[in-house]
Amino acid sequence: MSIVTVQLGQCGNQIGFEVFDTLFSDSHSSQGLCSKRENEAYRASCKERFFNEEENGVPIARAVLVDMEPKVINQTLSKAAQSGRWKYGQHAYFCQKQGSGNNWAYGYSVHGPRHEESIMNLIQKEVEKCDSLSGFFIIMSMAGGTGSGIGAFVTQNLQDQYAHSLKMNQIIWPYGTGEVIVQNYNSILTLSHLYRSSDALLVHENDAVHKICAKLMNIKQISFSDINQVLAHQLGSVFQPVYCAEGSFHYRRNPLGDLMENLVPHPEFKMLGVRNIPQMSENSLAYSTFTWAGLLKHLRQMLISHAKMEEGIDWQVRPPLSGLPPLGKMPLNKELHFNTSIANLVILRGKDVQSADLGKKLRAYLHQYTKFGIEEEDFLDSFTLLEQVVASYYNL
Amino acid sequence: MGRRRRLVDPAAEAGAGALPKVIAALSRSLPAGPSPEIFRRAKFDRPEAAPALWQLLFRLLSPRSADGASASLALEAQVCLVKSALRSQGYPRLVLAQLPEDGSRGSRELLLALSWLLARGPLPEQLLAQAHVQLGDEIPVCECEALASPGPRVPHVEAEGPVDIRCVQWLMGRLRFRWRCLIASQQEQCTLLSKIHLYTRGCHSDQRLGHLSVAETEMLRDPEGGQQLLRRLERENTGLEAALEWRRGELVFWRWMDTVLGACPPEAPAAATQPTFLPRIAERGLGRLELAARELRALQEELCEATGRRRAAWEARVGGQGRGPQWSSARQALQKAVEQELAALRWAWEQDRGPARPHGPHRLVRCEDEAPGGQHLRAAEVIQALRSQEACLEAALRRLQGQCRQELARLAGALPGLIWILPPRC
Repeated sequence: MSIVTVQLGQCGNQIGFEVFDTLFSDSHSSQGLCSKRENEAYRASCKERFFNEEENGVPIARAVLVDMEPKVINQTLSKAAQSGRWKYGQHAYFCQKQGSGNNWAYGYSVHGPRHEESIMNLIQKEVEKCDSLSGFFIIMSMAGGTGSGIGAFVTQNLQDQYAHSLKMNQIIWPYGTGEVIVQNYNSILTLSHLYRSSDALLVHENDAVHKICAKLMNIKQISFSDINQVLAHQLGSVFQPVYCAEGSFHYRRNPLGDLMENLVPHPEFKMLGVRNIPQMSENSLAYSTFTWAGLLKHLRQMLISHAKMEEGIDWQVRPPLSGLPPLGKMPLNKELHFNTSIANLVILRGKDVQSADLGKKLRAYLHQYTKFGIEEEDFLDSFTLLEQVVASYYNL
Repeated sequence: MGRRRRLVDPAAEAGAGALPKVIAALSRSLPAGPSPEIFRRAKFDRPEAAPALWQLLFRLLSPRSADGASASLALEAQVCLVKSALRSQGYPRLVLAQLPEDGSRGSRELLLALSWLLARGPLPEQLLAQAHVQLGDEIPVCECEALASPGPRVPHVEAEGPVDIRCVQWLMGRLRFRWRCLIASQQEQCTLLSKIHLYTRGCHSDQRLGHLSVAETEMLRDPEGGQQLLRRLERENTGLEAALEWRRGELVFWRWMDTVLGACPPEAPAAATQPTFLPRIAERGLGRLELAARELRALQEELCEATGRRRAAWEARVGGQGRGPQWSSARQALQKAVEQELAALRWAWEQDRGPARPHGPHRLVRCEDEAPGGQHLRAAEVIQALRSQEACLEAALRRLQGQCRQELARLAGALPGLIWILPPRC
């Protein structure tokens, strides 16, 4: 079953490129860990999910790129085409000539409806190319301007048009220090709108990934590209086909379906996080040894201590007997678990925003939103929804 | 020293060899049929024949879908199930209900129960029809099957203490996701079926079908699978032939069963006064039916009159207004709405009338021409019928949800000062 990816905004497009690149190179890795037949089965299963077969053999990613500026999209398209191994569809993108000044309300209320038909048409074309649709994977940032606004709008449209399909939104939590002043407002609006229309929200925090890059991977000058690569690694391990002994193809058919059914059945708890070990650069991989039990134990410790990194924890905890299906791949582990630390994050951020709301100076920024149709009531609705979510998590 | 006269019926003499053959044929046409020797021992109520007969009755009475899972049920469980199934079907003899649970005795009673089942309906034929090997792509066009077989029985678990509503919501969510995955899988299946039918056009020897089905394509693609299919067809043939042979000679069996019944001790007199479990329409119920029919006819006349009056009044009021071009679209929309409602009403009324509506699984065939077939169903019609059914059910759901909401509002209003926050949309 295939997944259609929608990449939104600068953040979404850059990450999306890295994700496809990682998925492609993973499935064509020449590490020779398994037999040839297993490799081929794995490759076929992975390819059908994310790539479309073309006549001349170059796989085309099942993706739609959307941004208001042409710069990032052009960069992404050319990077993919240059690699020669895979590429994006020739017309599978949508962009405008001018930017839109980082305004969430503008993205949601103006850009969205104006370009709704073109964007949905692009998505529809991708869907028609799939033999069977497992669902949508939407990558966007949470606190950006237009990317987030349009993202919320597009997700809502997908909910209306493809009510039965599964949707997972990948959102990037902004840095704590914040690059944009109104990012808190943007975050609140994005989060509340997505909570209503999406099935699952997979959250990645810039801060955490930054730390991983700095401490564990020993990268001195951390660029966005490095951060994106780490993110892509984590996402790739989530979406790689999962092996199971039953079934004729030995790989589970419906990736999103399996994830969602087990992780987000409850309508109030939709937030997910990823824990991933080992977190080290590829170069040091050759010099380390792992055991399955050791990896699981580490992961469990990380989870209990709400840590995002695998350092400095070494208590004696017995690992649970989890029936994780083994990934027939490199030792990249994934364990998506019902994550209360995300709840902590939401609560913390919630408090941040509430205090900001009391401050008069930030009320001044409201006019940017009301100019384009987002009224105070919308903010209040969003606050209420998120309060409910926070309360539900608190009561767990 | 006298000559001993052989008090043997000549007909029975001729049939002496026929009886084992007929019983063997019966066995072959039933699943898990025991050998004729078991039947013979059962006539004399031998205990060693009992387990095989319990198992046979279990296979005959358990729901079809539970075949794989329930084959491994213990004998006691099978005995229980057979007893309850027979009771619910109205089996009159009480001795069977009193047989021990470990299945060690009562083979003659079981033989009588088996013949009771055989006498009620064409049991071997029904079973063979159920196990029929499908060569075409079968699609159900009605929900009767899904509604009739509720699936394997789930053990009833008592909740200890108050149940967290979140648990229930969790389970409902899982169910919803599974349903959506099912929809995705079904769409995938439809796409693939369509492709196979398209690509194999002209390959079938039967001109009316024109293309291969999935089973036939698999047979060509995988010879081993083809062999398995062939073996299944041969088994089915054997069963069918056995059923025919059984029908030809069953008279012999029934005469023999008379002797078995004769060999039973007479039933206790208290048995006659025990009520059977068949539902009975009370005598005075018939009079009620007449009354209801009369009332319905009177109601229909009243309705006709009322609609006639209203239509006349409407025409008088509207006059010649509804003719212009700006009315045509409105009228079309109205017509469509009315047609839908009418179709829904019709469906609601015609639920009990069997032959008019399509039932059961049909073979899916893709064809180009517009030939209106007699027994062929067109997909468009089935889709239309199902859509109107869906609209009906959705309307009913909305009505019920509205009632729930009103009830909740009433309850909320009863407690002043309480603010209700509804959970996010599910």
